[in-house]
Amino acid sequence: MKKSCTTEYTECTEEKHFKKLRVLRVLRGEMLFAFLLAALSFSAAARDELHLYNWNNYISDATIARFEQQCKCRVVQDYYSDNEEMLAKLAAGATGYDLIVPGGDAVEALIRSKQLRPLDKSKLPNLKNINPIYLNQRFDPGNRYSVPYAYTVTLIGYNVEKIRALGLPTDTWAVIFEPKYLAKVKGRVTVLDSQRELMAAALKYLGYSANDTDAAHWQQAKRLILRAKPYWAAFNASSYIKELTIGNIWLVHGYSNDMFQAAQDAEHAHRPFSIGYSTPKEGAVLALDSMVLHKSGPRPDLALQFINFMLDGKNSSELTNLIGSGNPNLAALPFIDPKIAANRAVFPDAEGFKKLEMFRALDRQQRRVLSRIWTEIKVR
Amino acid sequence: MRSERLTRWLVTAPPLIFMLVFFVLPTLIVVAASFRYPGEYGGLAPLVPEGYTLETYRFFFSDVIYIEIFLKSLWVAALSTGLCILLAYPLALLITRLPKRWRDLMILLVVLPFASNFLIRIYAWMIILGPQNGFSLAVNTLLGFFGIEPVRLLFSPFAVIVGMVYVHLPFMVLPLYTNLERHDPAWLDAAQDLGANAWQRFWKVTWPLSLPGIYAGSALVFIPVLGMFAIPDILGGTGDILVGNLIKEQFLGTRDWPFGATLSLFLTLIVLAVAALAMRFSRKRLRHA
Amino acid sequence: MRKTSPWLWLSALLVCLFLYIPLAVVVVYSFNDSRLNAEWVGFTWHWYQVLLHDEEMLQAAANSIFIAICASLIATTLGTMAGIAIQRYKLRLLPVLTITPVAMPEILLGVSLLLFFIQVLHLTLGLLSVLIAHITFCIGFVAIVVRARLAGMDESIFEAARDLGATPWQTFRLITLPLIMPAVVAGALMSFTLSIDDFVITFFTAGVGVSTLPLQIYSMIKIAVTPEVNAVSTLLMLLTLGMIMLATRFDKSVLRGQG
Repeated sequence: MKKSCTTEYTECTEEKHFKKLRVLRVLRGEMLFAFLLAALSFSAAARDELHLYNWNNYISDATIARFEQQCKCRVVQDYYSDNEEMLAKLAAGATGYDLIVPGGDAVEALIRSKQLRPLDKSKLPNLKNINPIYLNQRFDPGNRYSVPYAYTVTLIGYNVEKIRALGLPTDTWAVIFEPKYLAKVKGRVTVLDSQRELMAAALKYLGYSANDTDAAHWQQAKRLILRAKPYWAAFNASSYIKELTIGNIWLVHGYSNDMFQAAQDAEHAHRPFSIGYSTPKEGAVLALDSMVLHKSGPRPDLALQFINFMLDGKNSSELTNLIGSGNPNLAALPFIDPKIAANRAVFPDAEGFKKLEMFRALDRQQRRVLSRIWTEIKVR
Repeated sequence: MRSERLTRWLVTAPPLIFMLVFFVLPTLIVVAASFRYPGEYGGLAPLVPEGYTLETYRFFFSDVIYIEIFLKSLWVAALSTGLCILLAYPLALLITRLPKRWRDLMILLVVLPFASNFLIRIYAWMIILGPQNGFSLAVNTLLGFFGIEPVRLLFSPFAVIVGMVYVHLPFMVLPLYTNLERHDPAWLDAAQDLGANAWQRFWKVTWPLSLPGIYAGSALVFIPVLGMFAIPDILGGTGDILVGNLIKEQFLGTRDWPFGATLSLFLTLIVLAVAALAMRFSRKRLRHA
Repeated sequence: MRKTSPWLWLSALLVCLFLYIPLAVVVVYSFNDSRLNAEWVGFTWHWYQVLLHDEEMLQAAANSIFIAICASLIATTLGTMAGIAIQRYKLRLLPVLTITPVAMPEILLGVSLLLFFIQVLHLTLGLLSVLIAHITFCIGFVAIVVRARLAGMDESIFEAARDLGATPWQTFRLITLPLIMPAVVAGALMSFTLSIDDFVITFFTAGVGVSTLPLQIYSMIKIAVTPEVNAVSTLLMLLTLGMIMLATRFDKSVLRGQG
């Protein structure tokens, strides 16, 4: 090492030396520029801004643009792909979000940990548009804090041609859990990478409630999952949409709006197959996502304005037409594409609705037990 | 002499204070968190009235499953490190044999993969390993030739290892190259004059001398692989959970911070132990050399 | 020049292929005329146009570059000081403090900083928290490189300067700094690339409305990655390549990081 350094040193002529100093000076200029930039970006923050913390891909750009025009403000969005991820960030103390769109059990957790601001309903005339069956839920009696936004069902999505050719059923969780069916699609199946969703599917198939917390039932569900696991390709909650659309995966356990997207993508890309999805007859999980105001948000006024805007029939209908989520808004129905409105997987009928269950929040002891079962599922 | 002492403090204090505040304090908080109760809805339970507990440590040792995951992660990290050495060595060796101006360019080419986004590089592998793409088809045709059933490359332990090696390979090439470059060709000539063949020259001269580079590179590969969660998440199948995934799950899935903190601490202890071991090895080697 | 065995050439070539095929896939697919981004359909500039009009992505890119520049400047300054202090003053504590973060799993660093910012400093997560976090993990890398460079030097140069009546500042500016410059630039480059590519630590420390490129890409993964992401990575690669070229021009030994 020594050798090359000393030669380096003798090479370091004065001219080179000055060149270096000049570069240093340029660097100093750059630093100044960077701080100017920082100052600029901070002053920009003083404008009217609504901070929205929403699911990925849960609102269309067109809707946002229209709201920005109406309120003469800017909407800044942050995204999460999992209720738990959002709760973790908030539990850690993330602040500054005006509006969040959590699922039911997350709303419950947020209310109980006193993180939400009660709604001023006098500012929400459009609240009358919501279908009463979606109001007054167990997680927020009387809707003091939350207003329904949209919902999704966790169900089965499939490659129509492949599944038909193999003669597999699509109306039962058995196709995800029973080896006699799975043997035909070995390595072509993914299930959600979510403790609660997968557990709920197994519990439903076994005839229990999705919110069952009985230890024996959990063990039974674990054994069911472990028996089916060798046939699955992966636990996946993100890239499965794409894998399904490409044709690498034929059968998935996933969310209805993701399936809607996969079906649309496959159609637009002229794939030689189509994507179908249906709710199993044993019942499934319904996730009703609601709009809530976070206590730390600096602009509850804009947030309420946004909620009322989203409760408008036409605006709300875009959630269904563009994103494919179920819609609790009665005024939206006339604007919804009749093809989607007729899809029972997106809009369950009264009979189907009875079989759907919403998650309840688990306490910390239950979370730890479930987490250990989940670890076992993943390792074994 | 006073100005000397002043300089000493002016140079030492800023980084020292920065690291004390933004590294030592946060680490102490994690240590403290591992002795607390999880909050009912995530985070930590209030200190009053719940206080401190050993409950989380008891939970960790109550089941071999967590230790199993640690062992598995160590194995994956060791395997990835080994493969990195295997791949990095010929490349680094070849670069040192090139004319001087080519060397800089080659090193640049090795560094360049750093410059694209990490997640994107992993996604590129998803495309390459996908069952309908050329590589998968070629491998399976070859296997079919020998009468072996087709395999799935994506969502498998194989994909995880490929991802790990790919992402960390430059970390092995760079220190190895810096080391090999300093070797004096005269040593090899001397060995040749003494009648050593190419293989012996490599094993008796180049390899032992390159060990410090290998150790440095191994540390740079082994440690990040041990804590990695994104690659198993994206490329892994149903069984590919590593300790990084387990820790991430505690913070972002189960909202069990004390357990996440406990797992992180064990992981850090292991890393420090490995680092100390590597340091001792390299020192011993240097003394022998 | 020794004769190089063809086997060595062959194996090195294979390793290069291994390194470059995925990169080629990234670049080629940025021109792919398919939203699915899974198989080649046809050539298009479309995704670069989409990128130009994607305000969120551009904002994230601007944040990333801003954070990377600031983090690498500050980390380089502090890291250089640390490197000098470690080598010159042989302080036992400093190497442990600066180098342990390099050896620590990223996720632990992210979580511990998150807890610290929120529970101790009561700091609102944002640009500043991300910046501090990035500086914390970059300092160690700079310190290691700078120290390695200093370790190979003859102490007597500095003593000579002192004997000739140079103040410590003059010694540093006129002698030490020019000598360690390649290591400093290498450290800065390393910090820049580490910062601009960091996902895990940023994920934990980023707050409201502050997205960086890796965070933005991560959130796009859910919606299936479109070739727009490839386009942005391709541009980023060009940018970093340009920076490295510039630095190499400035000093050849930058790439080796040490003398």
